[in-house]
Amino acid sequence: MLTNKVFLKKTKKGSILKIVREHYLRDDISCGSSVCELCQHDDKGPVLEEKLTNLSQKVDQSHYIIPDTNVVLHQIDVLEDLSIQNVIILQTVIEEVRHRSAPAYKRLKDILTNPTKHFYNFANEFNKETYVEREPGEKSNDRNDRAIREAAYWYQQHLKKLESEIDIVLLTNDADNRTKAKEKGLTSFTIHEYVKGLKDNGTLLDKLAHVGTGLVHEKDKVQFPEHLPLNEILRGIKSGKYLQGSFIASRENYLEANVSVKSEDRWIFIQGHMNLNRAVNDDTVAIEMLPEEEWSCPSSLMLEETEEKTDDADIEAEDAKLKQNKVPKDLRQPTGRVVGIIKRNWRQYCGILQQSAIKEATRHLFLPAEKRIPKIRIETRQAKDLSTQRIVVAIDSWPRNSRYPHGHFVRKLGNVGDKDTENEVLLLEHDVPHSNFSEAVLNFLPKMPWTITDEDMKHRTDLRHITVCSVDPPGCTDIDDALHCRPLANGNLEVGVHIADVSHFIRPGNALDKEASNRGTTVYLVDKRIDMVPELLSSNLCSLRCDVDRFAFTVIWEMTHEAEIVNTKFMKSVIESRASLTYGEAQMIIDDPTRNDDIATSLRGLNKLAKILKQKRIDKGALTLASPEIRFNIDSETHDPIDVQAKQLLDTNSMVEEFMLLANISTAQKIHEEFPNCAVLRRHPSPPPSNFDPLIKAALSKGFTMNVSTGKDLADSLNSAVIENDKYFNTMLRIMTTRCMMQAVYFCSGMIPEAEYLHYGLASEIYTHFTSPIRRYSDILVHRLLAVCIGADASYPELLDKHKTQLVCNNLNYRHKMAQYAGRSSVNLHTHLFFKKRVVDEDGYILFVRKNAVQVLIPKYGLEATLYLNTDQRKKGPLFVFNEEENTQTCGGISLHVFDRVIIQISIDRSNVQHLKLQIKLVQPQIPEFSVAPTEDDKSTDDEPPTKKQKLDI
Amino acid sequence: MAVDIRLASTCVRLKPESIDELTNLVTPGDVITSDTGFMRGHGTFMEDGKHHASVAGVVQRVNKLICVKPLKTRYNGEVGDIVVGRIIEVGMKRWKVDTHSKLDSVLMLSSVNLPGGELRRRSEEDEKLMRYYLKEGDLISAEVQSVFNDGSLSLHTRSLKYGKLGQGSLYLVSPSLIKRRKTHFHNLPCGVTVILGNNGYVWVCPTEGEVSEQTGGYEQNFEPVVRADREVVARIGNCVQSLADHRMMLFDTSILYTYEASLKFPVKDMMKPEVKTEVIDLARQRLERDGT
Amino acid sequence: MAGIELLSDQGFRVDGRKANELRRIQCRLGVFTQADGSAYIEQGNTKILAAVYGPHEIRGSRSKALHDKVLVNCQYSMATFSTGERKRRPRGDRKSKEMTMHLQQTFDAAILTSLYPRSQIDIFVEVLQSDGGNYCASVNAATLALIDAGIPLKDYVCACSASFVNDKPIMDISYLEESSGGAELIVATLPKSEQIVFLEMNSRLHEDNLSHVLDMAVKGCKDIHDVLDQAVREHVGEVAAISGLE
Repeated sequence: MLTNKVFLKKTKKGSILKIVREHYLRDDISCGSSVCELCQHDDKGPVLEEKLTNLSQKVDQSHYIIPDTNVVLHQIDVLEDLSIQNVIILQTVIEEVRHRSAPAYKRLKDILTNPTKHFYNFANEFNKETYVEREPGEKSNDRNDRAIREAAYWYQQHLKKLESEIDIVLLTNDADNRTKAKEKGLTSFTIHEYVKGLKDNGTLLDKLAHVGTGLVHEKDKVQFPEHLPLNEILRGIKSGKYLQGSFIASRENYLEANVSVKSEDRWIFIQGHMNLNRAVNDDTVAIEMLPEEEWSCPSSLMLEETEEKTDDADIEAEDAKLKQNKVPKDLRQPTGRVVGIIKRNWRQYCGILQQSAIKEATRHLFLPAEKRIPKIRIETRQAKDLSTQRIVVAIDSWPRNSRYPHGHFVRKLGNVGDKDTENEVLLLEHDVPHSNFSEAVLNFLPKMPWTITDEDMKHRTDLRHITVCSVDPPGCTDIDDALHCRPLANGNLEVGVHIADVSHFIRPGNALDKEASNRGTTVYLVDKRIDMVPELLSSNLCSLRCDVDRFAFTVIWEMTHEAEIVNTKFMKSVIESRASLTYGEAQMIIDDPTRNDDIATSLRGLNKLAKILKQKRIDKGALTLASPEIRFNIDSETHDPIDVQAKQLLDTNSMVEEFMLLANISTAQKIHEEFPNCAVLRRHPSPPPSNFDPLIKAALSKGFTMNVSTGKDLADSLNSAVIENDKYFNTMLRIMTTRCMMQAVYFCSGMIPEAEYLHYGLASEIYTHFTSPIRRYSDILVHRLLAVCIGADASYPELLDKHKTQLVCNNLNYRHKMAQYAGRSSVNLHTHLFFKKRVVDEDGYILFVRKNAVQVLIPKYGLEATLYLNTDQRKKGPLFVFNEEENTQTCGGISLHVFDRVIIQISIDRSNVQHLKLQIKLVQPQIPEFSVAPTEDDKSTDDEPPTKKQKLDI
Repeated sequence: MAVDIRLASTCVRLKPESIDELTNLVTPGDVITSDTGFMRGHGTFMEDGKHHASVAGVVQRVNKLICVKPLKTRYNGEVGDIVVGRIIEVGMKRWKVDTHSKLDSVLMLSSVNLPGGELRRRSEEDEKLMRYYLKEGDLISAEVQSVFNDGSLSLHTRSLKYGKLGQGSLYLVSPSLIKRRKTHFHNLPCGVTVILGNNGYVWVCPTEGEVSEQTGGYEQNFEPVVRADREVVARIGNCVQSLADHRMMLFDTSILYTYEASLKFPVKDMMKPEVKTEVIDLARQRLERDGT
Repeated sequence: MAGIELLSDQGFRVDGRKANELRRIQCRLGVFTQADGSAYIEQGNTKILAAVYGPHEIRGSRSKALHDKVLVNCQYSMATFSTGERKRRPRGDRKSKEMTMHLQQTFDAAILTSLYPRSQIDIFVEVLQSDGGNYCASVNAATLALIDAGIPLKDYVCACSASFVNDKPIMDISYLEESSGGAELIVATLPKSEQIVFLEMNSRLHEDNLSHVLDMAVKGCKDIHDVLDQAVREHVGEVAAISGLE
């Protein structure tokens, strides 16, 4: 059965190595066709059907399709289409795809596992009959092409031997390959020919990607410098001539971007079309540093690609305009230019079609929803249909002579402005998995009615006699924490935190676990919650509702009245919550002197301890930060739009928070002690001092010096920076501080040195997430680790594998970040909807002063908007003068400073029905020819601004 | 000097014309029988009440005794065997002799014939002269006198036919190829004396006159051997080697027949595989004819 | 998407084997005439020569002699040309010393040592080409050489490695699979009685998976035993036929 071929020679790092690898050729590989009786099919049975449906007029016979690598790489959207079935994917193809594009590989694998698509993976490289040896002098690509033809030929002969009617069609866009195939007697087409020949090819045609073919505008002249070939780039990187990094386009200015350089941990600034050189957000690029005299800095311009610009607008002219801005020496930042693309990271983008002047045109521009992505040129015949739709588009290529990348239509999502469609866009753009839970996942849910068995009780402590209660925001159905506090005989207090025992229901490795692990977190949108675990668990079995028995993971501390921890115990338990309270209710109970029952004493005890804990924490240097989102958090309590200044945090909010923090820290210590190599922890790196520059500068303008050397210093500085008559100033400072912070991330303890475990914001040496397993997967992992620590559960291989854990952590970080962005976008979306019907004047504060605009924060709506100053439309009146030193904009004797309070009129710009934009105008201070008159005070209160329910993840 | 070099790939491995699957062939770990009535012999061991083979070979049953005889093994000495050995150590009143057995054999000072008569007393003088009689590297022929508990052999040379060996060639073959005969000393008609040691050491030397008998072999004759004699010695040596390579039993007739068959080739060509095969085939046929 | 896919969805490994398949084994007994026993084995691209001398009188210092059993002396070495990179390998470096010790322990357990007190058996192992599973191939080669030398053994000693990839155990791993960072389990067994005489594991493997991987390795040993046994029978039969032994 086995034949042996020694086949590989390879050179590595200078010295020449001869690598000899075995290659076994087999004769037991099935052809996968149900016609075939010769081959031994594997357990799942043959994949390819006997009765075929995909009849193209090109071929008058039923047939199987064999695509080559490039077809799979570029036309994966077509292959994904349901009408394309019975395709043989050769191993040669799969390996090349895997090598060249990870996303395409993943999608291909998804198709292969989909039984309705009838895609078969044929291991031609291991088949005795189809294996081809690389001939001397033959390029590896040519060899692969030959291998593909050989395999196709084998199939053809094989099917002939079976006297079946089925033919083989080789799809390749390589003309040479096609000729050679035809010489061998194979049927071969380009994918374009093939798809055009299909009977029902409407949408399929649009999905065809045009790579290197057609769609070249004759008027386009070569505009961009050529990308360097990969080997030259790699050589350059080795020698230090080029730097490798990931390309992050600026949200504010489409002509600016930053590249985070892998090797040096710093940011390189890129500016202008030529220097950006067709890099798209997220690509891995090679850059070359510019000479120092050409260094530049972000222009402080808020620049959006306006729609008036046409295709052939000269990008060189645009670049030239940029160059005119001389940059003072001290402001210059390291600047570079992109010389080549190491790896494209294109995904599919949501957006809308830009309206075309010519109705019947097939070429259109596509406007992505994500501002960092350039417009994409696509070809479609359904422009009319699509004009009111949100659609999904993929990029195929970006030739040198095109201002925009070329792409193709993938699918439509729904009408613009439709709430569902917009939500869908939002979820897609943030890569939030939001489909319904599959049957396979739901199968792992416990069967209802659910009861507690003796088996369950074996490792559990019965805590049902203790008076436990939960405190949450109103309307909360996924209650993952509950608390209790009671005096002990020795005078100390016993405090317990009970967390929903989700890990009891989600067993490692099953479909439910995998799904949860992939989702990573529950995503809260304004009007929707995308659950991480199915509702049965999140809102019922795991939710610690009152008056029912629930499983919990309990942390119990014995504390003195000074909140010193005497000892800590962890246990799995059964509890019965006595009351599910809201923050407000809990506060009322504490404040009501007539109540003296168990719940009230418990709450008061907790409250007292929490205050001490908080003070201790603040003394240690924990930061109290503010961000507009947090304001919404408070909102959600009463579900009323309330004035932000008037509203104070309730004691009970911070009470719950303190104990959650304490539980998290205790858990982190415990699991790290037990699993120094594979504990899931959370860290918040201290920000590099340069991050604070804008903050220091802004504070200085009001005469305050910020000391940012340690977290403690920063907290103190923030506390002292108070202006008596401007209460919001401090909050503004805190908001700005928040922006200076790094992202907190999950990590696996074995992967980084212990000194870096620090959580800066909380001033804790070690931290993790333990208290919200219903909505965060990290907490489930922590629960499992903790369960192993206390012997309540067995460990499993992946849990103790630090590399796998780190991979999970990376996914969680990504999901978490995306969930936050999605949440924010959802608020923005609803803000838009809210203002659709009204024009409102509001108080605002200037957050940043830019060269051509000021950014204004409107606390009431947690909204940040850009006020463009010297726009083209403003033909008359004095212009604003930007003072870079003092960071002000002056016009007609009135200066706008950072922190200035202004009155702003908010409305929706309706100039483009398709693309509504929030627009603000200045009301006060009044600047002639610029500011507008205040609107009549006709605020209707029936339609409330959106509120957002989001928990604070520290 | 002409050198004959050929590629390794041209070497042909010996293959018998037909391999009959041997029924009584066992390999280590095989169960020979679970009948406990048998006695455990060489090459077997007991485990879980069963007889297992410990070597690969052919099962032999003698009455109740079960043994497995491996194809190749070190020499297992038996009393009365004729051996050829090499002195490797001179010790207190004894010589250590390498006889290709598992442990070195012993030749006691008291078990050798010393110059000056059979019944001479061993004096201290003799002990001091031991190295004069036999020193490290000397070859001797001897007979196994007894076998010690640990399996090592005690030799004696108490006969004039044994003793120190003079000028000649030593060939090492597998002990199992030496056919047990009444005599292992053969004066072949071609003027060569062959000593077929049971231990697989074969000594070939030119036949000498009666001269050395008086000295018990301790006086060495370093007279140059004439070329003709040397050639015959070499030819016989090559015959021994060829037979061994083809796993043929060694005894006087087989050597003689091989010698005669080889005469048509020059000595130097004899070890070429194809010549070897031809010579051996001729000898084999003649032996088989004799046998029938 | 770093590295190579060690086990494809269809169940093929990089070299085209399935998870439970051994590499091709070719072996020969009696390759040297001088040694008491010798053997050559190829397991895929791992090629090993083994020679056995003895039992014989202890050479060197007598004090090493054991009064009740034979002294097993091993020497493992790798040829300069055995790996992709040509490298001088002085005898007695840390790695080969360790390997020598492992071989010694393994065969101490398998040879019927009490039969030859005060003597010594030498086992010399030379790696001619290395492509993973050096220990395993060495053990298998040495076993063959011992059998060739007619030294009594309790059973064959067969060794096989196994690893764990994509939640599946794989048998007899090659250098490529060995160096991919996964766990490597090496086991030497007496296949008939399934007794383990040697077990080594590199890198971490969760205990839940251990039994699967071990089962795979033990199964590999049995498969190897079948191949070796076949070779031994052929060899013995051949030689017996030539020498007219009945």
